[in-house]
Amino acid sequence: MKTRLLIFTLSIFLGVAARAELKWEQNTIELHPSAGDKTAVAHFKYQNVGTIPVHFKSVKASCGCTTTQSQKEVVNPSEKGEIIATFNIGDRTGQQMKTVTVQTDDPNPTQTTTILTLKADITPALEIKPPVVYWQNGEEPKPKKISVKAAKEFPAKEITIKSNQNFESKVEPGKAGEWTIEVTPKDTSHPIGTALQIQTDYPKEAPKSFYLNVVVTTPPLPPAVRPNVANTPAPKAATPPASPAGGLER
Amino acid sequence: MPAIGEGIYFRDKVSWQSPIPASELVTVDRARAWSDGAIWVDARPDEEFARDHVPGAFSLNEDHWNELLAQFLPNLSRDKKVVVYCSAESCNAARDVAKRLRDEAQLKDVFVLQGGWEEWVKKSK
Repeated sequence: MKTRLLIFTLSIFLGVAARAELKWEQNTIELHPSAGDKTAVAHFKYQNVGTIPVHFKSVKASCGCTTTQSQKEVVNPSEKGEIIATFNIGDRTGQQMKTVTVQTDDPNPTQTTTILTLKADITPALEIKPPVVYWQNGEEPKPKKISVKAAKEFPAKEITIKSNQNFESKVEPGKAGEWTIEVTPKDTSHPIGTALQIQTDYPKEAPKSFYLNVVVTTPPLPPAVRPNVANTPAPKAATPPASPAGGLER
Repeated sequence: MPAIGEGIYFRDKVSWQSPIPASELVTVDRARAWSDGAIWVDARPDEEFARDHVPGAFSLNEDHWNELLAQFLPNLSRDKKVVVYCSAESCNAARDVAKRLRDEAQLKDVFVLQGGWEEWVKKSK
């Protein structure tokens, strides 16, 4: 009887004491990639401070731009590991926030799901202001100025820009790492858009290039087809707009 | 009960709590009603756009922003409303692309499609 009572008490004690707990060193990691970096990588470290193994059920990033790598599927008690989140920067700039949702089989409902956050401040290698320049259809083809500034981590000494058959352009150097580009359309009577390539001299082995978008806009829509906010019956799927004369040049 | 507990505990941490103001959101029905007065922009990754997309939509994502913007802008009439979508309500890509169109391309009438591609597909059935 006493033995049975002892066994019963011990089993309850062990059941209560047995727990899984994945403890994260940091749930939020802030990264500061250099201008021109292609990826930003965060290492989310954890340790199982519980008494039973933890199984990862899923590890999902909030964005297709972020990939995740989990070293283990099962984390035994006292074991450590990490989830590596690689954020592919692409053409993103400014403050970025991406999350990784981790689900485990932790019986504690407040521990089952963990949101890991990767923050990154992306400095553009070359700041182009404004990045898009417009002329209205029929507007006098006057030159417009664009300022270009290289980031400290991007020590370009010189930039060049190519004119094309529809836009003339020239570069005026300013202080070190700063330039002014002047662009003039030859004709604004028809809509046209293009991306003018700004070629830098950095890095020496593979100089990077950037783009300035210049656009002569399409003529305004006639009043009859301008969109309105009133409820209209019989919605239909949008149809592709007709390409303007001239189209896109590269 | 655990689900309710999780829902309360994580209410501020889930990405589907979009900060997009209501004035910048548009429903599928309303956007369709704009008909030729709307230009559709797909903010999803290239492979998702290639699989399927809103008829006539332009691909414009942040992975290849510079290249795709250069292709998109010549087709834009500034009288038209721009409707940006990504995969679902929980996706932030459309909001980010819409913001860049307002800030960089200086466009005014830019809207994010409520419910994204998922909602478009549901309404198309």
